[in-house]
Amino acid sequence: MAYLSMGEAHRRITDYLSRFSDAVSSQDASALSVLFGVSSNSAFLQALADALRVLQDSDRLVERYSQLAEILSPLLRCLQSYGLGRYTDAYVALEKAANAFLQEFRNWETAWAMESMQTVALEIRLLAEKADRELSSSGKNPEKLQGAGSFLMKVFGALAGKGPKRAGALYVACQLFKVYFKLGTVHLCRSVIRSIETARIFDFEEFPVKDKVTYMYYTGRLEVYNENFLVADQKLTYALMHCCPEREDNKRMILKYLIPVKLSIGILPKQWLLQKYNLVEYSEVVTALRKGDIRLLRNALREHEDRFLRSGVFLVLEKLELQVYQRLIKKIYLLQKQKDPSKAHQVKLESIVKALRWLEMDMDIDEVECIMAILIHKNLTKGYIAHKNKVVVLSKQDPFPKLNGKPVSS
Amino acid sequence: MATEAKPAAAEDPKVDLFDDDDEFEEFEIGQEWDDKEEGRDTTQQWEDDWDDDDVNDDFSLQLKKELESNSEKK
Repeated sequence: MAYLSMGEAHRRITDYLSRFSDAVSSQDASALSVLFGVSSNSAFLQALADALRVLQDSDRLVERYSQLAEILSPLLRCLQSYGLGRYTDAYVALEKAANAFLQEFRNWETAWAMESMQTVALEIRLLAEKADRELSSSGKNPEKLQGAGSFLMKVFGALAGKGPKRAGALYVACQLFKVYFKLGTVHLCRSVIRSIETARIFDFEEFPVKDKVTYMYYTGRLEVYNENFLVADQKLTYALMHCCPEREDNKRMILKYLIPVKLSIGILPKQWLLQKYNLVEYSEVVTALRKGDIRLLRNALREHEDRFLRSGVFLVLEKLELQVYQRLIKKIYLLQKQKDPSKAHQVKLESIVKALRWLEMDMDIDEVECIMAILIHKNLTKGYIAHKNKVVVLSKQDPFPKLNGKPVSS
Repeated sequence: MATEAKPAAAEDPKVDLFDDDDEFEEFEIGQEWDDKEEGRDTTQQWEDDWDDDDVNDDFSLQLKKELESNSEKK
């Protein structure tokens, strides 16, 4: 590191402090946000961190800013620790500064500092993650992200009420979702969602589009876990359609969940969509549905099991089996019809056993009868089983009803 | 530092225990984009009328052969 004189260090710190104070008094949120951007690695903040290393007693300089001192003093400590790569210390200091800033923010009647409050919310989450990684690699309990969640909840409380600050609440809600999904405590999302969705004082459409897209992505994922496929379809489709056109990474993430949802209601993605977004792990699943190839479905699920389990869509895909069976029986029916239309609506259970044996699935006639009973019960097949004759008698009208965008009935 | 003597606790890999692989990437604070209706023709992305009556694909032809050969054996 180049030599840094005391004088220069002093100058850099006082410069930072007066910029902060000026930004507050002139209500310049963008200028203020830059000063909070701890993890932005800006040259300005890095130079400041160097200065803080040289000039240890920066608190003396802060004293002049009586009202802002409670923010500035821990904020400088945070920037110094961050510059030294001590993330836990940096987080602890930032949380102090953030609480003091939230206090001020609450007292300001207008929402002028919203952008800065949101920067603080983002930084708190990012620093907590770094701190937790540091803590667990030294064998300590990683608890900072949980702490960040509590702080963000306080910010959310300050915004979610009636008033001009409400437009910023959705951003903080999304930061909370990210924390809860990472910690595996997604049930905590519920109270946040309730507060967003039940409020009649604010129309959802008035929130900024980027926050609406993020919100719909996370709540859509929650609906996938709860197997509410119609609502999941709505939310994820909203996210996809309104997503920033250039953000292919986020569109891919939305599709990762939207595709299984669509499949479960009988809608297939076009092949180019899977190619474009590199989601080819769904290719074989789609082919299996098209063909009625139950073996291919099972192989595809086995091959990508880890990936599907990690994103939580494995169970959704596993349930596609019934649709694949439906397609297979329909193929048998169509082939019979080709040969002899008059007998086509009678399908021998033995024929299904044979087809499955060809697909390397050993099932006896009782098991096949059981599957047929399920297909009939779920209205994927219309007809009845003549148990004595070991035959499925298909309805002459619409024997294989399409899902038409509705989930398989439970 | 005083705590340096402590051995690295490698047996407790809590890192990323609940990691979310699919964390949505941040949009810039204050970022906006043209949120228009056009370019949202979802019919180009999805297909709901795929469940046709076509049995001339390889899979169906193979299935047909299997069904017939087996029934002749009987």
